Amino acid sequence: MKRFPNQIIRLIIPFVIIIAGLLIAKKFLVPASFGKLGHFRADALGEAMSKPIHYVGQQACADCHDEIVKKKAASYHKGVACEVCHGPGSAHVDSPTENKPPAPRDRGFCPVCHSYNPSRPTGFPQIVTVTHNPGKACISCHNAHDPVPPHAPEQCGACHGDIARTKMASPHVDVPCTVCHETPTEHRMNPRMYVPTIPANREFCGKCHAKDAQSAKEIPRIDMGTHGERYVCWECHYPHLPQVYNGAAK
Amino acid sequence: MESLNERLMSALQQVSGYIYPNEIELHWSLLIVIYPFITGLVAGAFILASLEKVFNVKELTPTYRFALLTALSFLFVAPLPLLAHLGHPLRSYEIFFTPNLSSAMAAFGFVYAWYLMAVLLLEVWFEFRKDLILWAREERGLIKWIHRALALFSTDVSEEAVRFDEKAAKIITVIGIPSAFLLHGYVGFIFGSIKANPWWSSVLIPIVFLASAIVSGIALVLILYTIVTLLRSEKIDMKCLDRLVEFLFYAVIIDFSLEVLDFIHRLYQSEDSIKILSQMVCNKLFVSLVIMQVLLGTVLPAIFLVFFRYSRFPEELRRLAYFISALLIEMGIFCTRWNVVIGGQLFSKSFRGLTVFKVEITGFEGILMSLALLALPFIILFVVLKILPPWRISSLPVDKN
Repeated sequence: MKRFPNQIIRLIIPFVIIIAGLLIAKKFLVPASFGKLGHFRADALGEAMSKPIHYVGQQACADCHDEIVKKKAASYHKGVACEVCHGPGSAHVDSPTENKPPAPRDRGFCPVCHSYNPSRPTGFPQIVTVTHNPGKACISCHNAHDPVPPHAPEQCGACHGDIARTKMASPHVDVPCTVCHETPTEHRMNPRMYVPTIPANREFCGKCHAKDAQSAKEIPRIDMGTHGERYVCWECHYPHLPQVYNGAAK
Repeated sequence: MESLNERLMSALQQVSGYIYPNEIELHWSLLIVIYPFITGLVAGAFILASLEKVFNVKELTPTYRFALLTALSFLFVAPLPLLAHLGHPLRSYEIFFTPNLSSAMAAFGFVYAWYLMAVLLLEVWFEFRKDLILWAREERGLIKWIHRALALFSTDVSEEAVRFDEKAAKIITVIGIPSAFLLHGYVGFIFGSIKANPWWSSVLIPIVFLASAIVSGIALVLILYTIVTLLRSEKIDMKCLDRLVEFLFYAVIIDFSLEVLDFIHRLYQSEDSIKILSQMVCNKLFVSLVIMQVLLGTVLPAIFLVFFRYSRFPEELRRLAYFISALLIEMGIFCTRWNVVIGGQLFSKSFRGLTVFKVEITGFEGILMSLALLALPFIILFVVLKILPPWRISSLPVDKN
């Protein structure tokens, strides 16, 4: 019979040692409950569940404060859970009189959501904290459980500050917002239910910018028949800063 | 050290167009450029070695063992950029002990282990076993014991045993070629299979990666062979070098054609991402892609290689031209990896804006760390060459049966 090569035997020994070592190490290093429920350590679930609970959820608040919860549920803050502002409530649920949950009474907390930031959605109530009633606590004018402005905003810039500031640097500075946007009076108190219009056709801008328009001489003119094909003007020109050409629409 | 905020603000000034907030900073940086670069060198050097063993290209014999040891030294370092990038190296064993079969990235441990343990180490062992035994017989002291231990204390250098070694090395090389393809094709697959990223998502990417791996491997062996032979004050085998250059040229042509094919394919398909990708190539990647990768890293060295290979210039000048071309090619391949990894993260998934990549000097992902990781394989190769000198021939004869 042909002799089994000596090299193979010598190689098999370290390979067997390595594989056996790995198998033994695997036994010690892989947690016993690994893979029982999925690609993770099943015991981790129990450990996570045994951790003390801090947040109790809105239903626990509603058990005692049902009127406030009902009021909030009908308001703009219906999507904001109680514990977002009042902090974790488990200690308060356990002993309601000893542990009173805090309420944000300074000016630092509400601006986390309501300070002016251009990335927030249009129409989302935003203020510039340094100019908006400086020194006054938010809750002295606004009820956080039913937040509405104490009075209707007087100018569009109160909510649309970014647009107002941009327009100030543009040739359209003297054109009031309502020339282009027909705005229902209800928009001031209920901005999302009553939305202002935007110009829907080319002829609207043509009232000032067409060749035959009855407007001041210095206003730029274009030939409505040939300029801009079928696009509505604001698809290329940003009306709040019309000197900027919106190249993306080209 | 500048704060995260300062870093974001300075990056924000160079962002153009519209990008999502989590796209300002790149998540895969310099270390992830180095990872495919090093793996490519391993696969390329091994495929070069296989040319001699399997395809009997006899002129390449002087580089066969050298290429094997180069591949081995670089393979040791291949996972380190990943470990440094991920942090938590002490958890790395979990990739083997709790394998996640649905994750392509988690498969790296097995692809790597197979290539290291079942291909390279075995082939090097069979290739050097006879020599290790014969060297140990004429040596004393520590090195004798190192060589004996590396030979796993085998002593059989009969003709039959040596024949078996040769046969085994050949079989392993045959298995090794698809393994090398698997190793680097896998790295390409990781990028190519990300369908949300139009710069990466292409079935051609694994093949382009493979071709560029072969290019970089051959160029690396050419560079190292030239340097090491000169340092040893030996004469460079010009026939071998010429043959290397021929293979390098073929590989460059195949690699370049595939890249151009990929490029034309993208242009012709003209998907909705094409505008932002062409903006990126013309602006942010212009230097690293058009100038460094294509012109300096591919076209110029390819012209150099052909011109000097078939010219009648003196050997010294040809060697110098080959060496410079190989260096340029190596730089070009590094830029290829850079353009794939960094380029894929420079444009916004909104297809409307581009961000910027700022390289750090210190830190885990910085230049110093990258240079250290790139230098490490050369240090390992130096040690390996001391222990397993591929050019050393024992004066003792093989035992007769």
